[in-house]
Amino acid sequence: MTRDLVVIGAGPAGMAAAATAAEAGLSVALLDEQKRPGGQIYRDVDRAMVRRGAILGADFAHGAGLTAGLRHDRIKHLAGAVVWAIEEGFRVSYTQDGKGAQVSGARVLLATGALERPMPVPGWTMPGVMTAGAAQILLKQSGVVPRRAVLVGSGPLIYLIAAQMVRAGTPPLALVETQTRGDMMGAMRHLGGALRGFWTLAKGLKLLAEITRARVPRHTGATQIAIEGADRAEAITFHAAGRAHRIVCDTVLLHHGVVPNTQAARSLGVTHRWNTAQQCFLPQVDDWGATDVPGLMIAGDGAGIGGATVAEIAGRLAALHAACETGHLTREQRDARAGSLHRALDKDRAIRPFLDAAYPPFAQALAPADATIVCRCEEVTAGTIRAHAGLGCTGPNQAKAFGRAGMGPCQGRYCGLTVTGILAQANGQTPDETGYYRIRPPLKPVTLGELAAMDNPGQDAAE
Amino acid sequence: MKRYSAFAVAREALTGHKGWERAWRKAQPKKRYDVVIVGAGGHGLATAYYLGKRFGITNVAIIEKGWLGGGNTGRNTTIIRSNYLQDPSAAIYEKARSLYETLSQDLNYNVMFSPRGVMMLAQTEHEVRGYLRTVHANALQGVKTRFITPAEVKKIVPIIRLDGPRYPVLGALWQDRGGTARHDAVAWGYARACSAMGMDIIQKCEVTGVRQEAGRVTGVQTTKGDIACDKLGIVVAGHSGVVANMAGFRLPIECVALQALVSEPIKPVMDCVVMANTVHGYMSQSDKGEMVIGGGADQFNNYSQRGSFHHVEETVRALIETFPMLSRLKMLRWWGGIVDMTGDRSPILSKTPLEGCFINCGWGTGGFKAIPGSGWGFAELMAKGHSPLTEEFSMWRFREGKFIDESVAAGVAH
Repeated sequence: MTRDLVVIGAGPAGMAAAATAAEAGLSVALLDEQKRPGGQIYRDVDRAMVRRGAILGADFAHGAGLTAGLRHDRIKHLAGAVVWAIEEGFRVSYTQDGKGAQVSGARVLLATGALERPMPVPGWTMPGVMTAGAAQILLKQSGVVPRRAVLVGSGPLIYLIAAQMVRAGTPPLALVETQTRGDMMGAMRHLGGALRGFWTLAKGLKLLAEITRARVPRHTGATQIAIEGADRAEAITFHAAGRAHRIVCDTVLLHHGVVPNTQAARSLGVTHRWNTAQQCFLPQVDDWGATDVPGLMIAGDGAGIGGATVAEIAGRLAALHAACETGHLTREQRDARAGSLHRALDKDRAIRPFLDAAYPPFAQALAPADATIVCRCEEVTAGTIRAHAGLGCTGPNQAKAFGRAGMGPCQGRYCGLTVTGILAQANGQTPDETGYYRIRPPLKPVTLGELAAMDNPGQDAAE
Repeated sequence: MKRYSAFAVAREALTGHKGWERAWRKAQPKKRYDVVIVGAGGHGLATAYYLGKRFGITNVAIIEKGWLGGGNTGRNTTIIRSNYLQDPSAAIYEKARSLYETLSQDLNYNVMFSPRGVMMLAQTEHEVRGYLRTVHANALQGVKTRFITPAEVKKIVPIIRLDGPRYPVLGALWQDRGGTARHDAVAWGYARACSAMGMDIIQKCEVTGVRQEAGRVTGVQTTKGDIACDKLGIVVAGHSGVVANMAGFRLPIECVALQALVSEPIKPVMDCVVMANTVHGYMSQSDKGEMVIGGGADQFNNYSQRGSFHHVEETVRALIETFPMLSRLKMLRWWGGIVDMTGDRSPILSKTPLEGCFINCGWGTGGFKAIPGSGWGFAELMAKGHSPLTEEFSMWRFREGKFIDESVAAGVAH
């Protein structure tokens, strides 16, 4: 199958881009791992809205408008398609229903969104610990809410999930927040921008009010967070307000922000640079989402964290750009349609510096204690990585040879930023100098049977 | 250099492993060396090591544009064997294999040589005849191999399917002292030994030019400044053509990417190496339990160190016919290495038109197994100007038509 535009990811950016491109006349393939569109933010929105709309809130309902846009005869929506390789040119290999297949296109838009930033604190690999986002997925898709849970970390998502848990009738036992008063004071210099995003700010305050009304205790400025338990999480301990705390619980939900999922972009050799404000690598894109790999675009959180609205607008802009490049729109038509989108994007991004400064990642999880596991797949501790540096290991790729960090089934998604951070600190280098894992296919594990059952081997033989 | 020993391991285990020192020194280039080796992969480091050990030449720098062992040394399927047809090949590969037998003791570094046996499946009548001929040749060369029946194959590798419709197993060429080693450890072991002899291993230092005067090499230009030398060894595998160009000569080399992949770890199912040359696939199980699978080479020239589909699908499809239990295994990693191929699929270990400049390249898909033998012979060539091991591998054989034609003989991917 060959399409004008191949979109990977059916979240807000991918859905908006597919609809916009199809309307402009492009044939589109939209691939997504999930059976139903929505991405993480609007996960399974068409079904979940009917059942749990009141808990999930009005912002979630917005996603239904986006899934409606996919009902277009120029959009081929490949649902449940796990993309595991993208070759330049472009040829996208994926697995659907246990079979490998490929789709080609001269243009690819990566809308692969964000990952929750892993939060390696002592005990984080025990049963009963998961990310807050994972808990939210359970809530959205299956209506499951953990009882006796503590939310730990920082960022607006914690408040949203806490409020949703309150509405579901099982409020969290407590919020253990790592941001300090100092962070909030520092963020005040970005207040001008924050006020431009007044509605977002107001929504946040409303969530906080909901949490307070439900009398959920909040601890801020928490440090020395550790999860205790014999063979599963039994309690969380931390220091806050000058004393030690211990909360007995069944479930610990960790979250300290999200970072772009750059695996696909890295596998294609897009230039990435370290962003100090967001503490992560960002692919370098222009105003339209175009990268330095010809024909490859990135939109949404995968290009830098901005949230659902920003992602949707960026998706539309990238689609307009693709339509212009393929001759479906003239430059003037593109710019005319893009003008209001660019303005909306600026407005929606305005609150970002404030949020980044007010809710920084938890410092003690960016530089974990020696005994804490960093690479879960291969069970490599932070101390082992530091020891590698002491033996002459200069970067993450060499760390693989030294001790297998990043070589397991997650393909380094989970430990990449932490390993770069630890090595950068240990070697006195910047993250840019230290670099990142070289990402290669398969982006997601694929069975040999699926590979052998590829749909169109004839095409390969001909090449 | 502190020696590694069982006692040292026990001592460190009790004291939290704090006492290990760096395995090799961090070095900055001096102004001048007797010998400069370009390329700190297995072959380059082994060359330096035997220059020091056999000929007492220790004023040596090994310069590397990336990190040591980060090229093909770190991205191969680690197979060691010497069941070649032609005499010069069998000699150098058997020398390498026999050095591997004692390399850990020699280097005081555990390279995890595992002589688990290498089996080359004969899946066509043509292959049966070819391997019978190889067994006879090996007997004359002093390489211990034998031809085994399908029943013996099944006994050694119970997970194999003998009666596949397209690729039946008709027998195999068996070398019981072939096997695998830990590829990184080979590079690290040589590096540590070189560093202990006072040699400088200079990483992240790229050669940008070769300096010469009146037809004789005088040094190299690098990203860390000029380095003078009396003799220069170019050991850069896939990038040989590029460096040779700097030295002002051309090589009969083509570069292609070779594929390999690794599955998720499983319990032990196969304790030898199996090669299926008809389908260009070879497989072993790592100590971790992963199935390590090598594929064929791309059919187009390129320098990209990443996997692509050409051949991999075909290889996998055929391997699944022979090993049905593999089909549900998940593939975790997949990569490519740039291999430098010559027309007769045999290496070049040679003097060059530039006096004092030597080249070691063209190992194609089979360089790892040759590392100690290659270093042994190439060091001798650089030190003395000739070596019985490398005599037939001169680059001038292509002008004279005196090929060592393994490409036809072996029917292997290289």
